[in-house]
Amino acid sequence: MSVKIQAANVHLIEVKLRSEFNDAEGSAALALLREQGLTNLKGVRIGRLYEVSGALSANQAHQAGKDLLCDAVTQEFRLVPAAPAPMNGMNFWRVEVWLKPTVSDAVGATVAEAIAEGGLPRPASARCGMLYLLDGRAVKAQVEKAVAKSLANPLIHRVVVTEAHP
Amino acid sequence: MKKPKVLILRAAGVNCELETANAFKHVGGDPELVHITELRSGKKKLMDYAILSIPGGFSYGDDVGAGKVLANQVRHTLTDLRQFVRLGRPVIGICNGFQVLVKSGILPHSNACDQSASFTVNDSGKFETRWTHLRINTQSSCLFFKGLPEMIELPVAHGEGKLVLKSPRHLEDLKKTKSIALQYVTEDGKLMGYPHNPNGSIFNIAGLTNPEGNVLGLMPHPERFMSLHHHPNWTRQTYRKAPVGLEMFKNAVDYAR
Amino acid sequence: MNELSEVSDIDFPILGKPAKELRALGNARHLSLSDPEWAAIQAHFKGLKREPSLAEIETIAQTWSEHCKHKTFTSPIRYTEGKKTRTIKNLFAETIVAATEAVKKPWCLSLFKDNAGVVAFGKKWALAFKVETHNHPSALEPYGGAATGVGGVVRDILGVGLGAKPILNTDTFCFGRPDYKGALPEGAHHPTRTLRGVVAGVRDYGNRMGIPTAGGGIWFDDEYRLNPLVFCGTVGIMPQWAVKKEVKPGDLIVAVGGRTGRDGLHGATFSSANLGADAPSSAVQIGHAIQEKRVLDALLAARDKKLYGSVTDCGAGGFSSAVGELGADCGARVRLEQAPLKVSDLDSWEIWLSESQERMVLAVPPKCLKALENVFAAEGCELAVLGEFTKTGRLEVMHHERTIVDLDMKFLHKGLPRVEREATWTNSHAAKPAGGTTKKAGDALREMVGHLNVCSREWVIRQYDHEVQGGTIVKPLQGVRHDGPGDACVIWPHAATGDMEDFSCFAVGHGLNPDYGRIDPYYMALAAVDEALRNLTCVGADPARAALLDNFCWASPEDPRQLGALVRAAEGCAAAAKGFNVPFISGKDSMFNQSKDEKGKELPIPGTLLISAMAPVPDGRKAVTMDFKGPGNALYLIGRTNDELGGSLYHRILGRTGGEVPKVNPASAIDGFKALHAAMTRGHVLSAHDLSEGGLALCAAEMGFTGEFGCLLDLDEVPRDPRIYSNETLLFSESPSRILVEVKPENESAFLRQFGKSAKSAMVRRMGQTTANPILKVTGLEGSTCLEEPLKELKEAWQTALPKVLG
Repeated sequence: MSVKIQAANVHLIEVKLRSEFNDAEGSAALALLREQGLTNLKGVRIGRLYEVSGALSANQAHQAGKDLLCDAVTQEFRLVPAAPAPMNGMNFWRVEVWLKPTVSDAVGATVAEAIAEGGLPRPASARCGMLYLLDGRAVKAQVEKAVAKSLANPLIHRVVVTEAHP
Repeated sequence: MKKPKVLILRAAGVNCELETANAFKHVGGDPELVHITELRSGKKKLMDYAILSIPGGFSYGDDVGAGKVLANQVRHTLTDLRQFVRLGRPVIGICNGFQVLVKSGILPHSNACDQSASFTVNDSGKFETRWTHLRINTQSSCLFFKGLPEMIELPVAHGEGKLVLKSPRHLEDLKKTKSIALQYVTEDGKLMGYPHNPNGSIFNIAGLTNPEGNVLGLMPHPERFMSLHHHPNWTRQTYRKAPVGLEMFKNAVDYAR
Repeated sequence: MNELSEVSDIDFPILGKPAKELRALGNARHLSLSDPEWAAIQAHFKGLKREPSLAEIETIAQTWSEHCKHKTFTSPIRYTEGKKTRTIKNLFAETIVAATEAVKKPWCLSLFKDNAGVVAFGKKWALAFKVETHNHPSALEPYGGAATGVGGVVRDILGVGLGAKPILNTDTFCFGRPDYKGALPEGAHHPTRTLRGVVAGVRDYGNRMGIPTAGGGIWFDDEYRLNPLVFCGTVGIMPQWAVKKEVKPGDLIVAVGGRTGRDGLHGATFSSANLGADAPSSAVQIGHAIQEKRVLDALLAARDKKLYGSVTDCGAGGFSSAVGELGADCGARVRLEQAPLKVSDLDSWEIWLSESQERMVLAVPPKCLKALENVFAAEGCELAVLGEFTKTGRLEVMHHERTIVDLDMKFLHKGLPRVEREATWTNSHAAKPAGGTTKKAGDALREMVGHLNVCSREWVIRQYDHEVQGGTIVKPLQGVRHDGPGDACVIWPHAATGDMEDFSCFAVGHGLNPDYGRIDPYYMALAAVDEALRNLTCVGADPARAALLDNFCWASPEDPRQLGALVRAAEGCAAAAKGFNVPFISGKDSMFNQSKDEKGKELPIPGTLLISAMAPVPDGRKAVTMDFKGPGNALYLIGRTNDELGGSLYHRILGRTGGEVPKVNPASAIDGFKALHAAMTRGHVLSAHDLSEGGLALCAAEMGFTGEFGCLLDLDEVPRDPRIYSNETLLFSESPSRILVEVKPENESAFLRQFGKSAKSAMVRRMGQTTANPILKVTGLEGSTCLEEPLKELKEAWQTALPKVLG
């Protein structure tokens, strides 16, 4: 696995359920998005994103991913590189849902604490976001609208929709 | 009679500790609520206790994954847990406690201490509370089930209780080592899907034990069946057997004596 | 303090400004201060010869908010009913408080003044109960709003007396229908999304904290679509010695729990304002249940070591209200730089007013501080000394040596100008029932069981851990397959008391029906109290020991008709308390539940009153559930049936309006409840279920399909108004105070003996029996079968209705 630093001391760690496991949360998200008119969607897989900033090196972030953030049996993780991934038309979408900075992030607080407890430098901050990987044809505006009405609340969430790999 | 000391492990978000302590007290144990920080600081020592119980709850909010953060702490702090187990002292992990035992590599038993099982979100996608019919594996030698009938009832309450294994090979291992302690079944003992299997666990597994039978991890809550009046149908008077949870805790305390 | 410059921070000049300008200044900051309130503030500072600071204005605005001061209930009202006009000086004092004082119960340990009402539970223990609403936040962000609603009411229980341990959560919701297909204004969530989010929020917070959520209900009506109601209740248990609290000058002000951030600013003032699209995002939070669990564990450990003299929660208004409240009778001096912060760039007034969750404030004698620090450190819970309580009668707040608030406590807490409001009520003399289409009894019943306000709530209930703490011995889902609609839960609090030999339990029931209120809020209130007491009685609780809570959710009290209806409902509460001889112990109101719809027209909610009732179950092993227990048992109906179909489910199904709303006669009702309770304690009752929406037919159907036995009923045996000649009226009327009871044949005479002389006034009569065949069969007045329905099909319709619309 190639590990790149996204920006100085800010690491984005992505944790996904391995494909061989049933993704009940993904199925629930799929049903919600279909209700909002994304009827061409075939599947949704779910992941968690952890944005960890502070004195951690890339190797240390990798260790936090392995020891703490990722389940040894059911999940896989990677450090998301800063460079944009190549696009693949409109057939796959990556949706990130983050709490706005003004909203307290309980999971992030737990993660920062647990990283420090695991013997790594205490992060200045850790934020947790939800990742949805959408499989199916759609246009960006459609995806954004559907997400705002189901998986995210624009009042408290920041949503990033990008085209993605399958 | 001697009252065996029971360590009821506490941490932020553990929330079934009082009823679990009551259960042990009720059957003649001497429970003590011990926070993981007290074990870390050395103020309390695991080896001073006869029984370890990791109760249910949402340790650290189940943030990152059910029981994950506490499992890491158990790995780093309770370094004498393996010895505790080897000495044959009873260990019971209930619900979140089961998840902690699995994610810290205590269950299912392995020599390498690696994690070979885990839990994912229930197939229903929802947290669910319901009473389940369960079958005890009479082949296994789990000390908690001594003298109990094969078919029992206990309630479950969890959102992330679907037991999964690293590979199909592991299921064969579990069967061979008689590590499957408890399975979700229908009222007449059949292996069926939802809602009988409330979470979609592989092979309907509700609880695991080690080959020696002194460690038990289970998703259902025995501490919620200490009295006949806990059973959902006690007002119908159709259930007249001794409460299962009471028997299980009593077995552990009797054993530790 | 005479020098203008001494109070600074960002100044907020108001002296000499016209009302219009002040109003604009206030609106820009979401202060929700009225013109007379601005005038009072102006006059106060003119007297002080200085301008206020921003922090002072914010402190006053939030202390005087509707949310904190309950202005509607405590200010004078000119009330006109028909041609008569009278002045009500203080609606709350003259109705609910007066009635409670009149019934005077020695087992009430704390009424109305603390964070929750407290009653004795045996000799050693006390139960505290509080129900709050979190409507506006839940409308904006259903998940976070509901979760922090639970968090808030749990903190009320932690902050009552010296702190109680939460042992039960109850949650009642009013939503638009999930199948609503009409338009919605920009920014409003669809009712389905609101419902899913609210349930998830309640679930995640309650389950994480380890408090069983085992009571409540849901009411659907499209007029709630823009203003959903979320009532969060918590019962706590505490030793009786911990009921009293006292702040002493010299005690340290200690903040515990979560850190202070920018979240939740203006929650109090905002919740009193009309909900608009421009709602500040900071008014919404997500909540951190585990943080609150830490506070709970540490606080109760410190309580048992007697390390503090008083405690309250940081709710609306944050530190400003918590410190202001604790120090109201003495004074307080605060140094804000001591407060642990989430982010470093907070302004002074933001720290002071922030409504960050999961915080409490304690009054700690200095000699106890060290021990207190140890207790909190052991739980990984942060603690900070913010200052001390004084004898000055002033609220003084410093931040880095600068004074940002210096207010007279008396002005702050008593200076609010009371403005008289107009209220009118026109009695719309029961109109004759009109309109709609007649339906066959069987068709109507099938439609009723699948009606959203009746159908199974299993989809919701199963998501709550209603058995944590191992004390839910009568569960919300009952019967052979654990899925029938229980009247109330019974809680055996052994986890908190540590005593598994003692089977003293308690139950909590609810009453709510806004459809009756549309006809007459006075009778809505009586019916709600009656329903809550019926529910309690059905599971074996002692109705004579019930304690009530009121929660009013209303539209704008500035509309005289809305306020008139509110007066009428409050007077109904008072009449119920006196008539049933039961006290109110706590209550809360939420006003301005109205919003502009998609066409810009105001959409008010129907006036809504939730009554919650709690009563001891002296021996939990004698509790009763609502499912039929066997064939060949006698069925007794307690209570008289009248032609009271106004606001009924039957009328709603037919599309009919008008009719008599159910009218409670509390004196005869309580006689019936008490007699039934006596029969239960002697073990003469197999099952009991109250008649509410859908009347006798629905009640019998539910008891039947939950117990998987049928029944044969004879309408001619129903105790009734002799002027009724219609089978439908007897089947579906919603006359109050009625309970259907199953009794073993050999116990019938002993059962009836409990009704003694009052047997006649309580109107108890055998009117049917249970059968092995699971069919509901009813003989009509004319002697032939008027209803025959297989219970299996009714149950299926009842069970599938909610999942069908929610997925």
